[in-house]
Amino acid sequence: MTDISQDQPHRPPRKDLDPRVRLDIAVGVVFVIVAVAAPFMIDSKYLIGQLIVGLFWAAIAAQWNLLFGYAGVFSLAQMAVFAMGAYGTAMTSIYFGWTIWPAILAGAVVATVFSLLVGLACLRLQGVYVALLTFAIANVTYLLIVSDTACFRMEGTTCLQFSGGAAGFARFGDFGMRQLLRGDWILGNYAIVLAGFVLTMLVTWIIIHSPMGLAFKALRDNSSYAIARGINRFHAQLLVFGISAFFTGLIGGLYAAHFNAIGPNIFSVSTLLFIMAIAVVGGIGSFWGPVIGTIILMVADEFMRDMGQFRTLGLGLIIAVCVVALPRGIVGRLSDFIVKRRAAASAVSKE
Amino acid sequence: MDVFFAILVTGLTNGALYALATIGLSLVWGSMGMLNMAHGAMLALGGYVAFTVAATLGLPIWLGILSAALVGAVFGAVLYLSVVRILLKSGGPGFETSVMIATVGISIALQNTILLVYGGQPLRQPFNVQGGIALAGGGVMPMLNVVIVVVSIVVMAVVGLVISRSRMGRAIRATAQNRDAALLMGVPVERTYLQVLALSGALAGVCGVLLSSVTQLSPTLGADPMLKAFIMCVVAGLGNLPGAVITAFGLALIEAGVQFGLGARWGFPVLLMLVIAILIWRPNGLFGRAQIRRM
Repeated sequence: MTDISQDQPHRPPRKDLDPRVRLDIAVGVVFVIVAVAAPFMIDSKYLIGQLIVGLFWAAIAAQWNLLFGYAGVFSLAQMAVFAMGAYGTAMTSIYFGWTIWPAILAGAVVATVFSLLVGLACLRLQGVYVALLTFAIANVTYLLIVSDTACFRMEGTTCLQFSGGAAGFARFGDFGMRQLLRGDWILGNYAIVLAGFVLTMLVTWIIIHSPMGLAFKALRDNSSYAIARGINRFHAQLLVFGISAFFTGLIGGLYAAHFNAIGPNIFSVSTLLFIMAIAVVGGIGSFWGPVIGTIILMVADEFMRDMGQFRTLGLGLIIAVCVVALPRGIVGRLSDFIVKRRAAASAVSKE
Repeated sequence: MDVFFAILVTGLTNGALYALATIGLSLVWGSMGMLNMAHGAMLALGGYVAFTVAATLGLPIWLGILSAALVGAVFGAVLYLSVVRILLKSGGPGFETSVMIATVGISIALQNTILLVYGGQPLRQPFNVQGGIALAGGGVMPMLNVVIVVVSIVVMAVVGLVISRSRMGRAIRATAQNRDAALLMGVPVERTYLQVLALSGALAGVCGVLLSSVTQLSPTLGADPMLKAFIMCVVAGLGNLPGAVITAFGLALIEAGVQFGLGARWGFPVLLMLVIAILIWRPNGLFGRAQIRRM
């Protein structure tokens, strides 16, 4: 489809890349300042709780964006990977008695292993085949957990399942902030989750701008050319599957520790949909897209909360309308606009 | 012997339903490269339309099935005009995924609308046939299942005839083979796409009525069959209609066998394992051919 002549041999000099990097750093610094200042300005515990939830959604969406927006792997198992991290954390701390921090790390490793297995099974295929198989695998995992009724251990007179069954796990351990900060425990949790979020975003940014990230983007844009240039598609995509899964699992572990509970409902299609909506509204394939998308959708969601039953309907329509009207999301639209303005400005200055 | 017949009856009935859902999906994929994630919600829509016509308005059930097909076709056409057409124009290589995300959104919206109109409690589809056919060896095949299998096969035969014999079918096949060449030969490609989605919607409507007669009416009734239909599409090779029908019956029989042997819980997981094994062996599906892509 694409002509070779479109492939510009004369790349713009390296200096031109700098403004984008500078912009990313500037946005990042502003984000961190606002995020650190937020709890000092907000009094309501509910709002801080919502901020924490927003950080979780943004982080999951950012990892999905790395997978789909940058590497072009359309995986629908993102929530299952997240759940693996959370379940891994809960189960290691319950069955092995581990404290929460090693348990979170174990959860991330569990999520990575799960994702690599899924990748081994799916990544020989491409495009929608990958989407369908990952969707099916996520669904089967959910069904197996929900339909688990065999007794694994007894607590008093109640029978508990190995996988937590339909009820999930609770009270396996938290960050210990309730003892440390008492009434202000939620601020401690906010700090930890924010630190985790910033860490994953930082590493993701480095990966995207590394040679590895270039390989991912090349495979996304035109896999045949990329393969011809010597990139191994299967290996590269398996690698991005693993990386994204590790961070998704890490966030899953933080999620489990923050709520001190985890249930099969995070597998649900509507959660996956919410994550996809965040990425689509914000802009797939743009670094800040998931963050912007999370802010917009969380605010919209708060407004729709009053409408109760129309919430899901509204969410579905928002996704469909955004895909049709804003194919590259709000951030994509914005950067198109800026690029056009710059081009117009430079054309004028040349004259 | 009883178990054998039970597996056979369940497998054939599910196979017929899966096949009907699968060809609806496969038709759309084959002709325009679109994966319709709203297909499951369209199955539910068909079921509820038939319920309204037959149970609420008290009209005969065949009219219910007919109106389910009609509403499905209209929904498919509206889906094309409001979403797919615009995405096809702007999409380019990103069309495959963007249409998938958009139809996921529409599917959720449609399911939720059904939930708001009819409520979440399961309803009984009035489509039912009494009696059964005694089989050799003491088994009984319920008449309802016989009707479902027969109706599905008749509908599939009609679709097959339309595709292979009619002018519309020729246009559909030409567009599927090569969109640009068809356009140059004067095939109205846009109208053909509209017809394909309408046809697929009508199939979803009929399938929804049959499906809800063996299970129950609920807004999410299409989700599970759609997932399985996807899997069957993939195994057959996306876009291959006869292959899809054979695969649907084959996998439904295997699923029924596993469910009776190991318990209902393991039916789908075993099916999925099998599918993954098949895809590692033949990445383009059992009946699919390797595609050579021009760059």
